[in-house]
Amino acid sequence: MSGRGRKAPPPKGARRTFFRRRKVCKFTAEGIEYIDYKDINMLRQFVPERAKILPRRISGNSARHQRMLAQAIQRARHLALLPYVTD
Amino acid sequence: MVNAVVSQNRSYELVFIADPRLTDEQVVGLTDDYKSMINGAGAKVVREESWGKRKLAYPISKLSEGQYVILYVEAPEGVNPFPEVEQRLRQNEKILRYLTVRTDLDLKRAARKGKKKPRTGPLAGTEVRS
Repeated sequence: MSGRGRKAPPPKGARRTFFRRRKVCKFTAEGIEYIDYKDINMLRQFVPERAKILPRRISGNSARHQRMLAQAIQRARHLALLPYVTD
Repeated sequence: MVNAVVSQNRSYELVFIADPRLTDEQVVGLTDDYKSMINGAGAKVVREESWGKRKLAYPISKLSEGQYVILYVEAPEGVNPFPEVEQRLRQNEKILRYLTVRTDLDLKRAARKGKKKPRTGPLAGTEVRS
């Protein structure tokens, strides 16, 4: 088991064993329950180069935390702490 | 269990970005104006923060910098100074942007949850059943 959790291990004769790293919600892990829009350095981790919000599929955030994060990032953008777009 | 009947204060954060060309005194004056408006309406500015001049992530009305001021406000239920304050902020063209956020609910929920689940021990992702 590569520890993905959701999917059953690959069917018969598993061609290749992918080692998928178990994704973990950072916020759950650290017990963070409020994501501050002023904490730009923290938010930056979830805003890659194109300035888009890192999808949960990649970051592994829990749904709840992803919502809080998105809200925080949007607030930060409004205040020009984070960009909406980069060129 | 006991419903706290004591009317809890609501907390808010008001951030605004002032024109970078204003002097420090002007910004302080501006801030004091808004503060007295808030205080006069029955709310209270409990803390204030000034980040000074900061580069904007994107230009706002052709300016690339702004002066950030944050007011932390507490207000009893039913007291809402923000419509007037926001109107003033909007009319003032020295204010590039503002944001008001109500924080008490989120913070309270965070405090509650944080206590219930002090996730300090096991590595995240490991399942621990005891």
